[in-house]
Amino acid sequence: MNFLNTLSSWWQWAILAAIPPAIVLLYFLKLKRKPVEVPSTYLWRKSIEDLHVNTIWQRLRRNLLLFLQLLVLLVAILAVLRPSWKGEQLIGQRFIFLVDNSASMQATDVVPSRLEEAKRLAIELIDKMKAGDVGMVVSFCDAARVEQAFTFDRWRLRRAVEEIRPTRRSTSLAEALKVAAGLANPGRTSQDVTDYQVAEALPADVYIISDGKFGAVEGFSLGNLTPYFVAVGEVEARNVAVAAFDVARSETHPDLMQAFARLENYGPEPAAVSAALLLDGTEVGRAEDTIDPGGTTGVSFPLEAAKEGVLQLVVSEKDDFELDDVAHLILSPPRRSRVLLVTPGNEPLELALQTDSAMELAELEVAAPAFLGDEKYVKQAVAGTWDLVIYDRCRPKQMPRANTLMFGAVPPGGGWSAGEKVDLPQIIPVGAVHPLMQWIDLGDVLVVEATPLTPPPGADALIDSDAGALMAMAPREGYEDAVLGFVLIGDAPGGDGKSEQYVGTNWMTRQSFPVFVYNLFSYLGGAAGRSGVEPVLPGESFTLEHLAPGAKVTIESPGGSTTTGRAGEAGTFTFSDTDELGVYQVGVGGKPAGQFAVNLFHPRESDVPLRKNPRTELPSIRIGYVEVEGQRRWEPARREIWRELLLVGLLVLGVEWYIYNRRVAM
Amino acid sequence: MSNATKTPSALLSPELLAKLERMELVSRKIFRGRMKGERRSPRKGQSVEFADFRNYVPGDDLRFVDWNTFARLEKLFLKLFLEEEDLHFYALVDASDSMDFGEPTKLRWAKQLAAALGFIGLVRGDRVKIETVGQPARVGSPAFRGRRSLWRMLDHIEAIQPGEPTMLSQGIKNFCLRNAGKGIVVLVTDLMDKGGYEAGLKYLLSQDMDVYVVHVLSAEEIEPDLTGDLRLVDCEDGDEAEVTVSGPLMRRYKETLAAFVDAARDFCTRRGMMYLMARNSLSVEDVMTGYLRTRGLVR
Repeated sequence: MNFLNTLSSWWQWAILAAIPPAIVLLYFLKLKRKPVEVPSTYLWRKSIEDLHVNTIWQRLRRNLLLFLQLLVLLVAILAVLRPSWKGEQLIGQRFIFLVDNSASMQATDVVPSRLEEAKRLAIELIDKMKAGDVGMVVSFCDAARVEQAFTFDRWRLRRAVEEIRPTRRSTSLAEALKVAAGLANPGRTSQDVTDYQVAEALPADVYIISDGKFGAVEGFSLGNLTPYFVAVGEVEARNVAVAAFDVARSETHPDLMQAFARLENYGPEPAAVSAALLLDGTEVGRAEDTIDPGGTTGVSFPLEAAKEGVLQLVVSEKDDFELDDVAHLILSPPRRSRVLLVTPGNEPLELALQTDSAMELAELEVAAPAFLGDEKYVKQAVAGTWDLVIYDRCRPKQMPRANTLMFGAVPPGGGWSAGEKVDLPQIIPVGAVHPLMQWIDLGDVLVVEATPLTPPPGADALIDSDAGALMAMAPREGYEDAVLGFVLIGDAPGGDGKSEQYVGTNWMTRQSFPVFVYNLFSYLGGAAGRSGVEPVLPGESFTLEHLAPGAKVTIESPGGSTTTGRAGEAGTFTFSDTDELGVYQVGVGGKPAGQFAVNLFHPRESDVPLRKNPRTELPSIRIGYVEVEGQRRWEPARREIWRELLLVGLLVLGVEWYIYNRRVAM
Repeated sequence: MSNATKTPSALLSPELLAKLERMELVSRKIFRGRMKGERRSPRKGQSVEFADFRNYVPGDDLRFVDWNTFARLEKLFLKLFLEEEDLHFYALVDASDSMDFGEPTKLRWAKQLAAALGFIGLVRGDRVKIETVGQPARVGSPAFRGRRSLWRMLDHIEAIQPGEPTMLSQGIKNFCLRNAGKGIVVLVTDLMDKGGYEAGLKYLLSQDMDVYVVHVLSAEEIEPDLTGDLRLVDCEDGDEAEVTVSGPLMRRYKETLAAFVDAARDFCTRRGMMYLMARNSLSVEDVMTGYLRTRGLVR
């Protein structure tokens, strides 16, 4: 501690030094008392004697005011001396504290956790603010949240920091910077030249307190913002993560299921891991392996009798980040798609749809076009009975609540239209990456005649030709319609007035056709992923489909909190509060209707060790073209307490005044 | 003698006088008086009430010989009758400086009470003496007797002035020396004597008097309206006490006062003296018709 002499000349000191003796002197001078004549002092003397029984206390009490006055003076002298010690302070006037609360901030390489350390550092920074500085607190993960708007009140800033809660989400610094830039770099509110409602640009210092587990922020101009990076975390942090976890049919034994996972070691040392697979809490498999630093290993487990349940993969390696050590997967019972084929008669198609492997995926129902006029069809179509309806050379009056495939006809409405017939169009396959067309080679396919399609905007052309699209796919209210502009088997008027069938293409005889049927059932029939429900990432929304419109949906989180809502008109319900990791229970109409799992499959969040800039050996982040290096030391400054001392002096003065007013007996 | 002092209403209102007319002083003891009066006396004398017989001895008044008994027994017996005598009533007023406080002053109140009691005594033919504590030992006060002495008595009372320096115990001692006879004595004082009141009261007891102590206090003493840093000056001896009047001190003062009054009452009651604490704001009429009547001094 050192002192700063604020009194410049000796006589000022002399005056100050003379005050305490003066107070003591004044104290010993007799108090001028008002004389009052009374009948007798007899009773008064007796009363005073009673009060004087505790003489020591009385004497103390008599001198209490003197002591307090001397104390006030002492404090004042101390304040004038301006005691101080070496500290740090933040240079600037406006500060924005961005505190990362993404999943990786829950790593425990810094005790108790990175987030707690970040909060501590943020509070330290707030304490370094000078009087009159304003600060703002923003927490950010994949979205930014203003915890406390700009304020002078450091207590509120500290409280806002303390109230930041961890999340399991990924990180996006860009979001947080946008919030910060909203103030520092205001843009024009519109292009209107008469609009002068543009806020004044206020420069601000942004303190990013994070572990830097986010990508470089591209295309962001800092403008008036001056960034500082306060790195939290250790370079030596260890972590083995479940990077992927899935279930699929075994390639060698199609009747068997197989769970496989990918484990990654992000730590600096080789890790001997043991992964246990649990089905509804019972261990059904275990794998052990050693993973090199930065390496990956795959583990697989055969699942013989497993049909449904919750699969849990637990990595028993003790590391600094626990959130990614467990992954969940929902095994739902295999269900065959329900497919309706409406055709006046199409033997090759029926044959292709009824092969053994096709029958494994779907349950086929065949009907004549007359069925479309039936009331039963209308009811079933509205109720969503089928997953896929295939219309061969016919079309319904109204599209069903199902995915559809149409041969030689276009859906009513929706912007579809078919052109004039063309002969032998030249096929150009364009949709090879689409799930419906994958692994399909159309090189040897000929189409005799076709009606090129004009699909609605937003549609994907899957087979193109020199005359126009021959196959296209367009979304419709949560469903998809695929339309082929040619027929497999066509009807042509014959010579005797009867219609004769003709072959419209040779596709049915090509190897790619059964693959197409498989894709059809897998994709449009919804048979894909039947073995396991697709996992959801934290913060992602999860959509439940094929619900009765208005049905009551209840979702219970792993933590036990319940969300209730109603399905929309399209029979879907979207749930976005997926911040917790684990298994969510879904109930529809009060009955259990399945589960889904939320897993932290995020390589950037799992990659917990702090990365350093190899050039400077300092942790750094990149914002636009600016490289911001980690910083822990701030501007040295005198930390003074003369304000606090004066406050104490005032307080003592108040106490003295109170005691004086109590008029304690002499 | 001015007209003002001649008006009894200066000390006693006509209404009070009318009420006092019907009262009489009551003594709990039977005392020997000096003159024939309306009171029974332990002495045998000339009244209509027979007391006893005794043998005739030469020199006895032959008028009191019971001739009927002589006729029967041929022996001379003297017939003795109860004597009726007057009652000696003393009002002893403390006229020290401390009594000159309050509105009305305690002394004024004491004089009114003495006048009222004296008036009853005069009406009933008792021997009334009004004395002050500060009177010198050798200087007695005139005794008043009979209704005609009322004006003289009132003048005497009006002439009492505050500022007598004697201490209470010395004053009572002097009183006892002057008035050896027995009777009723009503001491009206504030008992505010730094030497204590106990010795003085004991003198009165030793005279075997029927003692009434009327302890009069002013509102300034019971609930002092004082605040702040003060130098209290005793009006009698000039003693000074420096106080800072605070809530705790005021509470302590009231406790001390209550203890003082309790001690005086206790002292008097234990020794067969009647004690009455009165504040100067009480009217003398109320004291006469209420308090003193219930305590048996008047009826």
